[in-house]
Amino acid sequence: MDKHLLDILVCPVCKGPLRYRRAEAELVCKACRLAYPIRDEIPVMLEDEARKLAPDEVV
Amino acid sequence: MKLPDPYRLDKPRLKAAFENAAGYYDAYAVLQQTVALRMIERLDLVDIHPRWVLDAGAGTGFAARRLGARYAGSRVVVLDLAMAMLRQARSKAPRFFSRERYLQADIESLPLARGSVEMVFANLSLQWSNDLEAAFEGFRRVLQPQGLLMFSTLGPDTLIELRDSWAGVGPGPHVHAFLDMHDIGDLLVRAGFHGACLDVERLTLTYRDLEALMQDLRCLGASNAAQGRPRGLTGKGRLAEVQKRYERHRRNGVLPATYEVVFGHAWAPLPTTRPQDGSTVATFPLVRVPRPPGGGSAQR
Repeated sequence: MDKHLLDILVCPVCKGPLRYRRAEAELVCKACRLAYPIRDEIPVMLEDEARKLAPDEVV
Repeated sequence: MKLPDPYRLDKPRLKAAFENAAGYYDAYAVLQQTVALRMIERLDLVDIHPRWVLDAGAGTGFAARRLGARYAGSRVVVLDLAMAMLRQARSKAPRFFSRERYLQADIESLPLARGSVEMVFANLSLQWSNDLEAAFEGFRRVLQPQGLLMFSTLGPDTLIELRDSWAGVGPGPHVHAFLDMHDIGDLLVRAGFHGACLDVERLTLTYRDLEALMQDLRCLGASNAAQGRPRGLTGKGRLAEVQKRYERHRRNGVLPATYEVVFGHAWAPLPTTRPQDGSTVATFPLVRVPRPPGGGSAQR
């Protein structure tokens, strides 16, 4: 993930900050409890392709 | 201004259409490329040096590559709804030290921070938005103050021959509803842009028959994705009727298809300077307000 791009990325739904989880290749929005996948190094910033965090999943 | 329900686009269907079109998109994208080159020509008149450029609805990156070459040192966010388009764009990017950054996203829900780019370039992508005002507001949000929005979209006379040929043949919309230039200008102002400048140009592509035209529309990923489209196969009889009607437009041995292209640019506003606490506003003569680099200097 390019650091410069990461700096300007926000959640497409709430426009809030994202947390980059390198191991899972995901960008996580804590407020929306959504994890956006990074596929083949391309962030997929679509709500309907995001994974919903489990209720007990710690961000 | 939201589209009435039957005209709302089914985004997953639109996305699937673009995913399927990615492989042969460039061959069919004469219109997109012609319009992109004209938009880029217009940038000659604007003295800006963006660090970040957003290409919103970049397709296979035809314009993004040229924007990257034009603005040395800039980073270009190549954004598209379809992953297949982005992979194509990446395969065509300069091999070493590419300054392109790829994002799969919807131009109506931009995943970029407020004020993160100096320029938004949107070539023939806004016609696929369900709420154009919201799309413009999104562009304004991600633009820096005095940032430039340069766009093209399609006007209501687009595919007028096809619309005319479908009229009375079957129920439901067969051709997407496009807003006219004046409505688009109003929406720009409502979204907070200033210095908006719009004009219209009609381009005509010609086809040997209706099938070739429909094939082209499919390949552009732009076939009928409106929610009110009739379900199932279009009856053979009805298609034949449309074909017969379209033949009335034949000139010099070919079928014309009109594309009304709306070109526009506008500037993001300066940040609001009015104090929130009701205190007195200091005033300066206008000449003392520093101009940002290139801000507001579009000439025509």
